[in-house]
Amino acid sequence: MGGGVHGKESVRLTLPGELGPERLREEWDVDIHPQESQALAFWDTFEWGLWFGGHVLYSSGGVYRLCAREGGWVGAVLCEERAGTGQRFWRDFETGAMRSRLEGMLGLRGLAPVAEGIFRLRRCDVRNGTGKIVCRLEWASVSPGKRGDGDLFHSCRVMPLLGYEAEAARVVEHLVRRGARTSGDGPVEVLLRHAGRVPRRYTLRPVFALETDTPAREAVGRIVLAILEIAERNVPGIVNDFDTEFLHDYRICLRKVRSLLSLVKDVYPAEETRRMRKILVDLARQTNRLRDLDVYLLAREEYLGLLPLVLRPALFGMFEDFSAEREREVRRAISKMRAASTRRHLREVEEYFSGETPHEPSPAAGLQVGPLVFRRIYKRYLKIRGIAAGIGAETPDEAVHRLRIECKKLRYLMEFFAELIPKEEGSAMLRLLRRLQNRLGEFNDALVQQRSLMNYWERKRSGSGVALGVGGLVAVLYRRQQQARSLIDEELEGFCGGSTAQAFKHAFKLPVPHPQRK
Amino acid sequence: MKILSSYSIKGGVGKTALAVNLAFALREAGRRTLLLDLDPQGAATFYFRVANAEKFRMRDAGSLAEGLRRNIRESDFPGLDIIPSNLGYRHFDILLDGMAKRRRQLRKVLEEFKPDYDVILMDCPPNITLLSENVFRASDAILVPVIPTVLSRRTLEQLAGFFRDEDLPGGMLRPFFSMVQKRNRMHREIMDDLPAAYPGFLKTVIPFSADVEKMGLHRMPLLAYSRASTAAMAYRALCDEILCLAGP
Repeated sequence: MGGGVHGKESVRLTLPGELGPERLREEWDVDIHPQESQALAFWDTFEWGLWFGGHVLYSSGGVYRLCAREGGWVGAVLCEERAGTGQRFWRDFETGAMRSRLEGMLGLRGLAPVAEGIFRLRRCDVRNGTGKIVCRLEWASVSPGKRGDGDLFHSCRVMPLLGYEAEAARVVEHLVRRGARTSGDGPVEVLLRHAGRVPRRYTLRPVFALETDTPAREAVGRIVLAILEIAERNVPGIVNDFDTEFLHDYRICLRKVRSLLSLVKDVYPAEETRRMRKILVDLARQTNRLRDLDVYLLAREEYLGLLPLVLRPALFGMFEDFSAEREREVRRAISKMRAASTRRHLREVEEYFSGETPHEPSPAAGLQVGPLVFRRIYKRYLKIRGIAAGIGAETPDEAVHRLRIECKKLRYLMEFFAELIPKEEGSAMLRLLRRLQNRLGEFNDALVQQRSLMNYWERKRSGSGVALGVGGLVAVLYRRQQQARSLIDEELEGFCGGSTAQAFKHAFKLPVPHPQRK
Repeated sequence: MKILSSYSIKGGVGKTALAVNLAFALREAGRRTLLLDLDPQGAATFYFRVANAEKFRMRDAGSLAEGLRRNIRESDFPGLDIIPSNLGYRHFDILLDGMAKRRRQLRKVLEEFKPDYDVILMDCPPNITLLSENVFRASDAILVPVIPTVLSRRTLEQLAGFFRDEDLPGGMLRPFFSMVQKRNRMHREIMDDLPAAYPGFLKTVIPFSADVEKMGLHRMPLLAYSRASTAAMAYRALCDEILCLAGP
């Protein structure tokens, strides 16, 4: 029941193992109902999307229940669905309530079991002198999923009946006097810890703890190592082909490191930096085709939706081809990722930046990272303005592509060193940059997709039906590309216009003269 | 939210048994139900093992609604709450008398509970006072238990007369036969002709039952301890009939 009347709160207590509901009979009449036992498997994503979204999902006896999370406790059931096994993505569920709630928290991520436990529950009613129930109790013991393991946790939830809160408070007091605690971890936290799992925020943009006067080489090394660590964490998910986002994030990490090394030149010796970048390019190349296929397959419904119903079946074959190719490609990529050479290369890059490896001196190694980066950000911004000035309706696509690449570099720079940039100004600039990048991205995606569809057609040359389908899609994508192109000008005005230029100048143009190169 | 009342000028006709069991049947039908025991005898309150309400002081509560809200008690049956009886309700008349639109105040007060309940059911004292008049004007339907006897028929006529005199909508009156003994000839005869005079007469008949009288021993609704008894089934049927009248 909702509304103002029924807003009462229950109290959750952590109990010493020997404290049972019988002890309450010293003061109250207590009906103890028969014990119920349930084996629960808890699910979450690699990013702990449910946990940090304030939810808990468990399955038991073929039923999935999505609940509110109250600290480390399972709260109210929000929706449930009877389902078989193999539910991994939100779209594998059938009920609307479950799908819509999960979609937001899971995105493209898959669900994996994170902990198991057996919950034994005894419900009790506590009655006053006239036999009226004044509160209900849920006495619970939790043990890990395996047989023979002892209890990890004992708890009691005291749920007062409306109008009897004072009696319920007395019950709580009674239990607290006998060793119950109102604070402490809940059963889900305890089970997770037992399983060696700790919910941890996942981000591609970690904090690097940089100061403006951190020496550039130390700063860059720290960033590279932090990003490589994220890349490494994604490897098991790629090797198990668990969901598409592991590979996506792994590739982003490699690209970011590569980009960083070219953006802050002269921090490490040039020759070695080139070699590291080459390794990273080669590592990424192993999975280029797989990522392309992932992108096409994820866009399947969107693509089909672009065509009239009669033309859609013409594309089914194409997606089947992509699926089959993905099967082959994923096997190839996995074996590459597992290969000793890949591991060795990744380790080599890590070791190079670990700080323990001695390096030759280089011109910018000892400079303060703040001024160094600010100068490079401003230079990059001016470069973008330069390209933008030359872009008109007739400019070839190539220039737009160059603009996109420069924007991406600027974005990375501003994100890597976000800690050094004043927050408000930085986020206003990034907002405009992101909007421009979105338009550029739409333009580029439409272009690339047309080319790849044409390539597919060139290779297959199969049937006029497929030709119609592919042709239809190419036409729609071309239209989309043109639309994106026409919108780019608008965003460019915002990003390169007077007030933004002024803001960049104010934030990043330093009055100090260019330091002497050593 | 629907507001129902269990009312009769005559005592001992099964008014409280109706309130208690109908409230239980309503929550079984999934309706969040609030039973408001306005009868100072507090029998409904007793059946739910609830203590009498705190002394009602307008000064402390700030408003009538707040005073009632503070007294809400959750029954042992989820989905059914009760505002217990309070001897102080006899002062309701005085309280209401001092208010503007004094004959319609109760409806306004009860409307404040709309977010929390689907049905409010009032068990009323057997008299006609300013409070009763408020109950009449607050209710969507007034359920009147009628034992098929001459005396009961007479009190029903009195009530209908009062409605006419006071320009109250007579259609809200929903009499039904209560404590019926099918083998009693007089019962049968009155049941044959009385409903014709009252278009709102409900079809369900509550039989006389010793099980109902045992509610005092069990201190819970009949439906909670003797689900399958004839009387329990009759209350459930009555609940269905009322829900059909009232809409969803």
